[in-house]
Amino acid sequence: MGEDRRLDALLPEVYEELRRLAAAYLRRERPGQTLQPTALVHEAYLRLMKDRPDRWQNRAHFCAIAAHSMRQILIERARARGTQKRGGAQPRVTLDEGLVAGVAPSVDLVALDEALERLEAIDPEQARLVELRFFGGLTIEETADAMNISPATVKRHWTVARAWLARELASAS
Amino acid sequence: MTPERWRQINELFHAVVERDPRGRTALLDEAATTDPELAAEVRSLLAVHESSAGFLDEPAWAVAPELILDTPAASLTGNQMGPYRIIREIGRGGMGVVYEAEDTRLRRSVALKALHTEYTRDPLRRERLTREAQAAAALTHPAIATIYALDEIDGALFLASELVRGETLRQELKRGPVASDRLLPTLTQLASGLAAAHAAGIVHRDLKPENIIRCRDGAVKILDFGIARMRDPDAVTEMRLTQTGMAVGTPGYMAPEQLEGGDLAPHTDVFAFGVVAWELATGAHPFGATPAELVARMADMLDGRPLTSSGIIVFRGLETVLRRCLRRNPTGRYASGHELLAALEDLRRDPSQTTPARDESGPSPRALWWWQVHQVVMACVIAALPVATWFLRQWNATAGSRMFLAVLALATVSVTIRLNLLFTSRVDHDRLAAQRARVYMVLVSVEAVLGLLLLISAALVAGTSDALAAILVTLAVATVASLGVIEPATTAAALGRERPRDGSVG
Repeated sequence: MGEDRRLDALLPEVYEELRRLAAAYLRRERPGQTLQPTALVHEAYLRLMKDRPDRWQNRAHFCAIAAHSMRQILIERARARGTQKRGGAQPRVTLDEGLVAGVAPSVDLVALDEALERLEAIDPEQARLVELRFFGGLTIEETADAMNISPATVKRHWTVARAWLARELASAS
Repeated sequence: MTPERWRQINELFHAVVERDPRGRTALLDEAATTDPELAAEVRSLLAVHESSAGFLDEPAWAVAPELILDTPAASLTGNQMGPYRIIREIGRGGMGVVYEAEDTRLRRSVALKALHTEYTRDPLRRERLTREAQAAAALTHPAIATIYALDEIDGALFLASELVRGETLRQELKRGPVASDRLLPTLTQLASGLAAAHAAGIVHRDLKPENIIRCRDGAVKILDFGIARMRDPDAVTEMRLTQTGMAVGTPGYMAPEQLEGGDLAPHTDVFAFGVVAWELATGAHPFGATPAELVARMADMLDGRPLTSSGIIVFRGLETVLRRCLRRNPTGRYASGHELLAALEDLRRDPSQTTPARDESGPSPRALWWWQVHQVVMACVIAALPVATWFLRQWNATAGSRMFLAVLALATVSVTIRLNLLFTSRVDHDRLAAQRARVYMVLVSVEAVLGLLLLISAALVAGTSDALAAILVTLAVATVASLGVIEPATTAAALGRERPRDGSVG
């Protein structure tokens, strides 16, 4: 209980740090320079840790908070944008369109968030894993570290959870 | 769906996914007989699994960058902004969008940076930027892209500077490290740019391969001098900067004192130079290739533990210089670009420091030379042993002949092995350690027996032929002492225990 409250108190700070860093990363990007997804969480960790290292039990602990914060940031903003543009301005890109174009399909984040909540009800561990991988940008190995399970298990869970979410999103759109 | 049901679906899914297409169908058909609903569910998930490659592979914030960026700047390409005709966008940086433009007053090409609106909205920032641009505009140096003007056009700020055509060192690094004959000239140019700026009291604050351009003629130019990062000692401003999404520095290039929010001084640039130069020399970041390694090593550094670094520098003298740039404590580094430049120029003047070692993980040439001399001397000494034992026949024809033949056979083996090692060291040095490991025990045994035979011979002829006995004892002792003492020493120096690939930066 006390632990949870302590985490809640840290959320806003992580939230702001991540948003700020992500913006800086995206702006800084030059043509031909690819983003390093995990760099974001690591940099936030580094920056926040240097102030008061005692607050974070370990990096895994931090990654979980960071991934959750990033989810909050993006979903809040996606919702705000959705209400602004209510009336169909926000195109929902289906999986197939993305595949045809040969690029990673764009994702309806609000629908994904809702699907993730449904997944959480039946399998909290998989939901947490998706949060770390997708919202935290962690690699398979880092996710395994953060969840204290083997990379092979992460891969198995990831495969099935991803398929399930993809199907949920496809049927929602 | 219940968690229990989901668990069943998961189990069947994994069982099916591991099989080949025929096995999959068989397993699903089998499952359908007992639980058709379960089989249908897994079939459906499997279909999605196969058609949704790439789904969620990119992290969320990269998929939806527009949610993170508050105000995506509109492109000005094609517009006329005051005297500038904007030709094309060439990049987006932390401060704004950069265009190639033509200054129609002077008919020259410029790099025009359209600064984010935060600079015009916040008077403190704006004033500071103006001041910094003024200072930086006074800098003219071949290794620095000159700043021409800071103009306000339609309420927005534009920074015009020399247009440098070429590619960034980051792009160049993607093809590997800088060629060794180009390395020192490149580093010296960069250092001389830093020296000139530091002498004018200007610190770059964000030196990194992305900010350095290699022109077509091979020269390098540093961009964004003096205005790369806005940082204010005033805490309020600092907070406002933070809130508007400016990162103060780039992880991996920030000196420890920069990470800790300390003063930015020339030695901060010296640290960043050390990182960049290390990358140029080795092709790898000194603190590791992945963000995780980087963070671990930077955290080590903040805690005051010595840093390990990756990669091996071809020039030994350069490694010493760069390690000094990378010291945690600013006072341990070169104080400014000027000192750094002097150190690099010393290197260029001393050819022994800039001759690339043939194999950087191998021995120093001198140690190898001693080892080779040792092999030649020992081959000669051992070749002389049969000659000494030849005289044993005078004392006892049969026993002497046998002894002579035994020593001759063993000496031949030993000399052959030593000459083979010598040959390997000269023509195929990389295999030397392996080859030596293979034959070393034979060599030790043969020479130990040789020593023993000589001592026995000496004992037998002692009294009848003391001179011969003395020679035999001397040769025996020389052989055994060489084997036990000198050989291990020269070998350790020449071959080393495998030189660690990770050095320590302290």
